[in-house]
Amino acid sequence: MSWLRALTSALFLFFVFTIQEGAIARINFPITGFSFFLAVLVALMALEEKSGAVVMGFIGGIILDLSPTTNSPFGQWALVLTVVGYLIATNTESVGDFSARPGAFVLFVAFGVTITLTLYLLVGTLVGENAGTIGRNTVVVLGNFMWTLLFTPIFLPSLLRVRQATLTSRERS
Amino acid sequence: MNGNNRSRLLLVTLLVTSLFLITLDLRGVSVTQSSRSATQSFLAPIQRGVSDFFSPVGNFFSNVKNFGKTKAELNQVKKQNEALKKEVVLNSDIKGQLDQLKGALDLAARGGFKVVAARVIGHGSASTFSQTITLDVGSTSGIRKDQTVISESGLVGVVKEVTSSSAIVLLMSDPTFRVGVRIARSQGMGVLIGQGGKRYLVQLLDSSGKFQVGDALLTLGSDGFKPFVSGIPVGKIISVNSTTASLTQEADVSAYSNLGELGVVTVIVGNLSSDPHNALVPTPAPTRTVYVTSTGAPPVDTATLTPSPSPSLTSAPKKKATK
Repeated sequence: MSWLRALTSALFLFFVFTIQEGAIARINFPITGFSFFLAVLVALMALEEKSGAVVMGFIGGIILDLSPTTNSPFGQWALVLTVVGYLIATNTESVGDFSARPGAFVLFVAFGVTITLTLYLLVGTLVGENAGTIGRNTVVVLGNFMWTLLFTPIFLPSLLRVRQATLTSRERS
Repeated sequence: MNGNNRSRLLLVTLLVTSLFLITLDLRGVSVTQSSRSATQSFLAPIQRGVSDFFSPVGNFFSNVKNFGKTKAELNQVKKQNEALKKEVVLNSDIKGQLDQLKGALDLAARGGFKVVAARVIGHGSASTFSQTITLDVGSTSGIRKDQTVISESGLVGVVKEVTSSSAIVLLMSDPTFRVGVRIARSQGMGVLIGQGGKRYLVQLLDSSGKFQVGDALLTLGSDGFKPFVSGIPVGKIISVNSTTASLTQEADVSAYSNLGELGVVTVIVGNLSSDPHNALVPTPAPTRTVYVTSTGAPPVDTATLTPSPSPSLTSAPKKKATK
């Protein structure tokens, strides 16, 4: 991943983060909220090669760590999403090209978000963070899975078009 | 160095960087805290702008979920709609916020608190497990960290972060939230703990104390009114957990404030009078019985009227008119 691409990715992710914190967080979803940012980030990481996914995960994590509503230590999201980026990139290599199977891609994103949130909880427990009861956290994670499954098909085509537009001719080939 | 080795090296480098940042934060380095404050300063104007647009649709899902709950409720809503049509045409969203503001100011006035009213411009991000709201007032309006936030019904939470134009409030439902409470009836003291949902857990500090279902809980108060002003209604006991294993009694609590529908809240910035003691305990609306006796031939009705907030009219079976 080139420096220019890392910069454009960071700017785009910060834009998505602004939408998440400014607009999506304003809607009271039943069960639990929907993390638009995580869904977009997982989808983008799934389309990158290994080192690109890791860098994108780290950038996305740093942006999430900037969230003033988070209680976790600064860097926890970066740690979690870097690991998730590596896991996703490793798995997408074995799964192959997603573009021909949109259903599988949506499912992959939903599972990716679920794994991310679970890993975040686990790391939070390790650093001594109090995140509430297991029952409540299970509801939050499963609720996020459900919303991601429902909403990802809506924004995924636009996201793919935006990504395609930001690629350099060398990266396209 | 091949691609695989390079990506592994990158992974290790970034993981070490993340762990370094976590260590810095846990050691209390101010750079990380100020970066979050800077983000909040950047996001607050956007949240304020978007808030106006999203306010009517923010509760869309909960409205859909509760639609058609019972026929009686629907009939009541229809009656209320008819009444509203006769009133001055006013934006229902603004009217709701005004009602909440009126209730919150009324509660603050009864307690003799100096307050700053604030609009809720954001709810905690779904990306985090903490439960927070963002207010449209900040340090320029006198808001400081660790100030008590109340709604029309009672305690909402405590100010966690403040920027010049916004403030983040940790809601009482957050699992990290703890507040000292006292029972209005017996003055027994306990600690209320957020459970992440609508229910709360309260633990008595005194092993000889007892809870009763329906007991009202008020904040115990803190030194210098920070973070909690005393006498704020918190909730009421809905069930008592009697276990022989625990030294003190525990109980489930239902909060007075509906944290899911907060539009306007007030932040207590000063306490004008002394401890309000039990003056703010919510009391049930009195039931007045009205006997209506007709003078002529029409049937005689006996009706029981219960005033607002939940008006209901129960009629006795009609007697046959005697001519």
